[in-house]
Amino acid sequence: MKKVLRRVALLGLLIGTAVAVRSYLEKSEAPGEEAVQLVFDDGSTHALYSRSVEAQEFTDIARKVVEIGL
Amino acid sequence: MIGYNARLKRDLNSGMGACMSEQGDTTGGLEGKLEDLKALSGDIRSCAVLSGDGELKGTRLGDGVERERATAMLAALAKLSERVARENGKEHTSQTRIKTDDGHVLLVRLEDGGTLAAMTNPDARVGLVLYDMRNARDEVQKSLQGEG
Repeated sequence: MKKVLRRVALLGLLIGTAVAVRSYLEKSEAPGEEAVQLVFDDGSTHALYSRSVEAQEFTDIARKVVEIGL
Repeated sequence: MIGYNARLKRDLNSGMGACMSEQGDTTGGLEGKLEDLKALSGDIRSCAVLSGDGELKGTRLGDGVERERATAMLAALAKLSERVARENGKEHTSQTRIKTDDGHVLLVRLEDGGTLAAMTNPDARVGLVLYDMRNARDEVQKSLQGEG
């Protein structure tokens, strides 16, 4: 009986670890929310998501503009 | 702030462009046009016009705002937008919307390469503000040409 319980506990631990690792990876890969939207002269649009370096370039400056401009 | 119904009624009666020029005539010049834009779009907290080379042509920034710093940063945002356009194989960006925790920065490109910029609260109706900015663009452009 003890052996079975130990195996169930070990299995639970393995499943828990796998779920935690997957959740972490999904979170780190998510692009984040849309932070910048650009509309080009031909009418097409391009979105930059908050986790991208490009978006952060925009938001870092924009944050300061809002801070000092309002 | 102008309510939706009053705004709709006024726009239907006179047309947005007519409304801008009518108000512009009373105040005159670029500063007047920016004041009109701010009055028309209650969500705009401050706005400015930059020339293509990043020079501040007119502004309705709040009192005590460091204008030179704000101008340099708006010019940097306009340049970044143009860079992204080039990277995506486009000629120009016609408008840019940047969302931050404390509000939005909105940029609309003028014909001569200048920029009409506006700052809003975080809960602003950004689409409506951009619509007003696009409508104000021609009037702003005319004022700039008049000044030049």
